[in-house]
Amino acid sequence: MTELLVKNACVIDPIQGINGEIMDIAIRDGRIVESVSDRAEVIDAQRCLTLPGGIDSHTHVCGTKVNFGRYMSPEDMRAGRTQRRGRMHVTSGYYVPTTFGNSYRYSAMGYTTLLEGAMAPLEARHTHEEFTATPHQDMLANTLFDGNWAVMDAVREKNIKKTAAIVGWTLNAIKGYAIKLTNPGGTEAWGWGEDLTSIHDQVPHFEVTPAEIITAMIQANELLKLPHSVHLHCNNLGKPGNYQTTLDTFELVPDLNPDRQTLYATHVQFHAYGGRTWRNICSKAEEITRSVNSKPQIVMDMGQIMFCRTMTMTADGPMEFNLHCLHHNKWSNHDVELETGSGIIPVTYSKKSAVNCIMWAIGLELALLTKSPWQCLLETDNPNGAPFVKYPEVIGLLMSKRYRDEECATLHPDTEGNTSLCALEREMDWHDIAVMTRAGQAKALGIINQGKGHLGTGAEADIAIYPIRTDSVDPAREYRKVVEGFQKTRYTIKRGRVVSQDGEIIVDGANATFWANAKIPEDIRVDNDPEFIRRFQEFYTVRMSNYPVQEIYLPRGRRVDTEAFT
Amino acid sequence: MRVILESKVRKKPTIPIEAESIIPRNFLKGTDLMVYEGNKERTLSELFWIFVEGTAVSPENIEVVLKGDASRIKRVGEYMDTGSILITGDIGMHCGNFMSGGTIEILGNADAWLGREMRGGMILCRGNAGHYCATGYRGEKKGMQGGKVEVLGNAGDFCAEYLAGGEVHVHGSTGDFPGVEMRGGRLTIGRDATRPCANMKDGTCVVLGNVHEMIPTFEKIDRRVLPEWKIIADVYKGDVANRGKGTLMVKIPGAA
Repeated sequence: MTELLVKNACVIDPIQGINGEIMDIAIRDGRIVESVSDRAEVIDAQRCLTLPGGIDSHTHVCGTKVNFGRYMSPEDMRAGRTQRRGRMHVTSGYYVPTTFGNSYRYSAMGYTTLLEGAMAPLEARHTHEEFTATPHQDMLANTLFDGNWAVMDAVREKNIKKTAAIVGWTLNAIKGYAIKLTNPGGTEAWGWGEDLTSIHDQVPHFEVTPAEIITAMIQANELLKLPHSVHLHCNNLGKPGNYQTTLDTFELVPDLNPDRQTLYATHVQFHAYGGRTWRNICSKAEEITRSVNSKPQIVMDMGQIMFCRTMTMTADGPMEFNLHCLHHNKWSNHDVELETGSGIIPVTYSKKSAVNCIMWAIGLELALLTKSPWQCLLETDNPNGAPFVKYPEVIGLLMSKRYRDEECATLHPDTEGNTSLCALEREMDWHDIAVMTRAGQAKALGIINQGKGHLGTGAEADIAIYPIRTDSVDPAREYRKVVEGFQKTRYTIKRGRVVSQDGEIIVDGANATFWANAKIPEDIRVDNDPEFIRRFQEFYTVRMSNYPVQEIYLPRGRRVDTEAFT
Repeated sequence: MRVILESKVRKKPTIPIEAESIIPRNFLKGTDLMVYEGNKERTLSELFWIFVEGTAVSPENIEVVLKGDASRIKRVGEYMDTGSILITGDIGMHCGNFMSGGTIEILGNADAWLGREMRGGMILCRGNAGHYCATGYRGEKKGMQGGKVEVLGNAGDFCAEYLAGGEVHVHGSTGDFPGVEMRGGRLTIGRDATRPCANMKDGTCVVLGNVHEMIPTFEKIDRRVLPEWKIIADVYKGDVANRGKGTLMVKIPGAA
């Protein structure tokens, strides 16, 4: 039995409705309890800001695509190297660091749970192996279904039950957590040399449209009662004028679940562009947020970009090809058999580029114009918009109008005319930030029941104590202190153990991987369906019996059971 | 000053030695340098018999001589900027990485990645060179940027990949894809080459032997006498597929 008592913590816990109360937190065996004995180890938080462990609901840190980013950038591997020190392994890399590099830096920032944004089912083993090498964060994997042949066939037949059965079987087989649709249909069309320009274009050879795929998958997701909603990367990412596609997509979404959203739209910044070409691109954040404000069934995340050099990586192959044509930089494109594809290309976001400046402003506008912080979460689509180490700066920008104005003054002169950022007076408070960085994520991902994102009795003891005194720091003026404070926790506690102290990692760590297991009735299970098996054996390069990921790949797997079809 | 390092007989001679500390400048202050053998840190004297002849006040007067089996010693001459290194036998991978000055002479064969991302100086390999001779690292956008690499024997695949400056001269044949993705500089191949200069952007490549499997996306623009080599060569421009402006010159078989 291990016990820990955190004293004098200034707690903000939006899920419990606690806002800035000074209190003690008792922890026994990795869980938060009412009280502990006198023998408990004591940490004095000295009235510092104490939040539930941070949750990143969309990041790319593990898997083949991330690893290919590492292969491609020896310059990055040379950029940030740290020696082996104490418990810490050697790390290298800045925007595509090694798994331990990711884990340590997230931990130093107080993050304890991460959702890998896109895992191709066929490459799940690699992803799970890297999960085990990301020791300080519990992991969840979004599973790509955007170009899944079996799913598209079932959607064409308008057979929602079968769609759900395929999804349920796949998630179970490869230990995924949620449905991810990346440019649904578009990546598959690209595999046939074509490109979709709207959600009503047909995918060649499959005769389904992205709109049909999205609608069917939303219904299948609710039929399976999965903890998370459909996680959507909309079509037409990064094209001027794409906001219309995004709005059309939002219109498709019914409100089906009282506990959480029905659609999670990710990195919406990349999907909120007006104009017709790169020359007259402008912000349509107002239109997007107007739609989101009126639709409680939608949660989005920012996809903020920051000015730096980074790497874009996505399952959206055609988008990456377009980006390559723009930059002529090194690039990679990859096709994953019957499932999806991917593309990787390095980029540098520069203040000299009007387009980049407008993109930067759009991300902030989205967050500031969305009325409820529960509906617009903070992330940079790491590393696509910026490496996650930039989160504290994003927090600073959201909390301080002065910081935004100072940054705006250094931007390309075209920024002001094409965005409304300078006119926005809103400054977020500590509670809003707590929602946007952990509570909102826990709710959106459906992991509150797993004890994530809050500090109530019975919750997992994932706690971040930041060296910030909320009563003496004025974030609007002293934004530098805010940024510094969020960069390095005083203590990061993971499952009741202090894992990181003042940025130093002090234990080896042992994470868990959550995966969703939907119980599907025998009569509609696809692994009993001879036609499904026949097509699988015919088209895949692996046998169906070799496809599922063995339990050994998840040394600390945590199954989340759902009663599907009830 | 001459520093002679004669490798001792090792119990497990296949374990690689990471010897980036073996550059002339480092011997100015003495010979107690550290290298890694596998994952174990060793002093130089644990692995080599060390003989020092004479003294030097500046690093350009230092010559390092590697004797004995050096075929598993990697990264000799990494970031070297002056002085000279003489290797009497074969040398392991990554010899002369990032070198910016001085000379390296190899009397035997060189393993892969000879002169990787070199910026200046001179490497002379009297035997054969392995794959990726005078190239960039995987994923890097520029390869060798300056200096000269001369190989008297043959070179392996991907010789002078991403060459961006400087000169590479292979007197023998090269393997597959020499000069692929060339950005500049000059590559000369004394004998045969397979699929040279695919996707080249700029620079000049001369092949004095036969070309196997010529890349189809090169445009023949001229036939020219090359007085330097006393041959008549077809001159191609390409790689057209990549809007390249490189020059590839191939000797016409039989013509002298």
